[in-house]
Amino acid sequence: MLGKAQTLATLKQQVAALEAQPVLKDFEAGPRPQGLLATPRGALHEVFADGLADSGAALGFALAQARGLLQPARPGLLILQLKADAQELGLPYGLGLQNFGLDSEAIVLIRTGSIVELLWAIEEAVACRAVGAVVADIAYAHKALDFTASRRLALRSAASAGAVLLVRYGRAREASAARYRWRVLPAPSAPPPFDERAPGPPRWRVVLEKGSLDPRRRGTEGEEYLVDWTDHGFALADDTSGSGRSGTDRPAVPAVAALPDADAAALGDRLSQAG
Amino acid sequence: MLTLPRWATDCLKRAEPALAASGRPLALWEKHKGAMRLVAVDAAATGLGLAAGQSLSDARAMVPGLEAREIDRLHLTQLFADFADWHSNASPIVSVLTHAEAYGDLCLDITGVSHLFGGEAAMLERLVGRLRRLGFSTQGAIASTIGAAWAIAHFAPGRIVPAGHEAEALRPLPVAALRLEPAQADRLVQLGLKRISQLFERDRKSMQARFGVSFLLRFDQALGWIEEKLDPRLPVADRFAEHRFAEPIGLIDDVLMCTHDLAVQLASRLQGEGIGAQSFHLFLYRVDHKVMTLSVNAARATRDAHHIARLFAHRAERLGAEYDAGFGIDMIRLGASSILPLAPTQTGAFGVDTGSQSLDRLYDVMSSRLGALAVVRARPVNSYIPERAVVLEPAIAASPAGPEAPPLTVPRPMRLLPQPEQITVIAEVPDAPPAGMTWRRVNYRFVKASGPERISDEWHRTGRKLQLTPGSIEAASADRSRTLYFEEGRSTRDYYVVEDDGGRRFWLFRLGLYGVAETPRWFLQGFFS
Repeated sequence: MLGKAQTLATLKQQVAALEAQPVLKDFEAGPRPQGLLATPRGALHEVFADGLADSGAALGFALAQARGLLQPARPGLLILQLKADAQELGLPYGLGLQNFGLDSEAIVLIRTGSIVELLWAIEEAVACRAVGAVVADIAYAHKALDFTASRRLALRSAASAGAVLLVRYGRAREASAARYRWRVLPAPSAPPPFDERAPGPPRWRVVLEKGSLDPRRRGTEGEEYLVDWTDHGFALADDTSGSGRSGTDRPAVPAVAALPDADAAALGDRLSQAG
Repeated sequence: MLTLPRWATDCLKRAEPALAASGRPLALWEKHKGAMRLVAVDAAATGLGLAAGQSLSDARAMVPGLEAREIDRLHLTQLFADFADWHSNASPIVSVLTHAEAYGDLCLDITGVSHLFGGEAAMLERLVGRLRRLGFSTQGAIASTIGAAWAIAHFAPGRIVPAGHEAEALRPLPVAALRLEPAQADRLVQLGLKRISQLFERDRKSMQARFGVSFLLRFDQALGWIEEKLDPRLPVADRFAEHRFAEPIGLIDDVLMCTHDLAVQLASRLQGEGIGAQSFHLFLYRVDHKVMTLSVNAARATRDAHHIARLFAHRAERLGAEYDAGFGIDMIRLGASSILPLAPTQTGAFGVDTGSQSLDRLYDVMSSRLGALAVVRARPVNSYIPERAVVLEPAIAASPAGPEAPPLTVPRPMRLLPQPEQITVIAEVPDAPPAGMTWRRVNYRFVKASGPERISDEWHRTGRKLQLTPGSIEAASADRSRTLYFEEGRSTRDYYVVEDDGGRRFWLFRLGLYGVAETPRWFLQGFFS
């Protein structure tokens, strides 16, 4: 009898150890990034765009998220793409990345021949302790990229506290172990101050389809944000300025509405703040 | 220098033992200007009076039992390259001389090697002897210049010419020994200059005028007056460790295990000297006289045995079905090149870890598995043409910084299409910003646009002179340049940033100005975020 009780106790311990796997509990390594749309480190994200024509917006949002997750001790940012997708989606362009507020020479682009190599490269990259975020740009659905693969990536990223962002296209949603799923739609931009007819800073309509931004609260799926990308990170956009037809003077950066729990520092540059 | 004058026929005989056993004379022929001519004959055929250059029908008439085959030069070249690589077990620098034939002449740099074989004479005897035992008719010679060694190996084989005595050794040889073109040699003989000794007292200037610069070059090279360098076939390793097996091994896992052991040996050697290396080469010597070479590169000099072994493991994974051990591998050599001083470092407790070392290691691993060109970094260069303004270079091989790129004041897209895609554009008036486009068979209507940003041709790149008089532009653009996008006057691009009603931002350009080009064409080149 004693032996049975002991066996039960060890089994219970083992189950408890399994349940304590990082991906199953909330993984909190160090201070949680603060700010609008900030997510914890070590999570797998999926960023969906409706079609290939929105590839700019999708990559922009993914890189914006990634920039917030970099730290001085984890400066590595990798962009992965299949060689065959380059003409479909366009290659990330160094000068454009500089315009976006990233150091283009610190970003490494990896172009693989097959999806299996791409998945291997994501795993290998996220396991490196100096890599802050990995952005994988995948144009089409692949058999190899199924639930098992996403679960592997989620475990890897949770174990190393590096973020993985899969940029996907289309309206179909497959089962995945991603902790966050975003849908990014481009939105008409606010006009820049001196030219009414010119396009302004990037503006996206972001729908959080899965996951929660508030660790204390569950079930915030379906939240929708209209955000502008500014030099200081995300800013909530003023919806009325979107049309750009009002004809009156508009401020250069649209008014920022602070979230209830976001303090003023959250609007500062996260890169400088993270150290 | 080793010369194998009958390599082509010997090689065929080795591949088909029945051919050698039959004892019939063998000749290889080739179609040359519509006639079938002999290009290689074996010893038996030479004895019967056949020679290269004869027509095949003449040869058949002379020797009724002749075995004639068509020559496969590509295959022979490949075989000879493998064969040359195998000789790196005698000397690290082996090269195939290609001035005439891609096979037949093998050049080994034996500087500092001969003592391992018991002296130059013993080494020559051993190398020639082992080839003869394999069935190749071989001649060899040792000299301190490539030209002299070639001449002596071909015309007075078996000799060893000490340094500084090339002139004496060459004097009695015929002029063809200077590696001349057949036409050059023929003309020399016609003029009565049959021996090299006769060339010494001639006037160099008139010789150059008559026979060309190449003649003097060969002459000087043979005498050592002009340096001639060997072009080694295999990467030259500065430091190496090797392992020979009593029984050949075949499995890739065994090879990698052995590589790890060798890496440990090599690393301890590098550590002792306080150096590290950036390139590592693994040479696998197969028992059937072939060498496989695997090379990996590291972003920074290293001597970490586990890292080196790991890079080779990833590199071998990419090899896949290409890995062929044949009948087994009997020697493995791990070489290191691109040696740099690498002082031992102490990992500090208070230093700031920027992670650059771990990142470099990550890029090493990825490059060895995916190929160096798959792991790239964007570097801005000094150009205004968008696709030229950034070069993608391997992350592990950073090139030195070029001229400073101009500062960026204009918007640039997040993504750039590698090849701009042609679109149809609707514009209200010719020079107005576009109002809509059709791209990939979908229509887009633009509500906002900014531009144009005019980027004109880089005249210094098109290989054409700067046109200073306006009239000559027409004449210059008549001879169209090779590239599609760069034609003088027609290749100016006007870039527009446009936004459609859904908020998508595109980067378009119009190629050519209205009035200059016949029909300006529109292209989509990028996407803004």
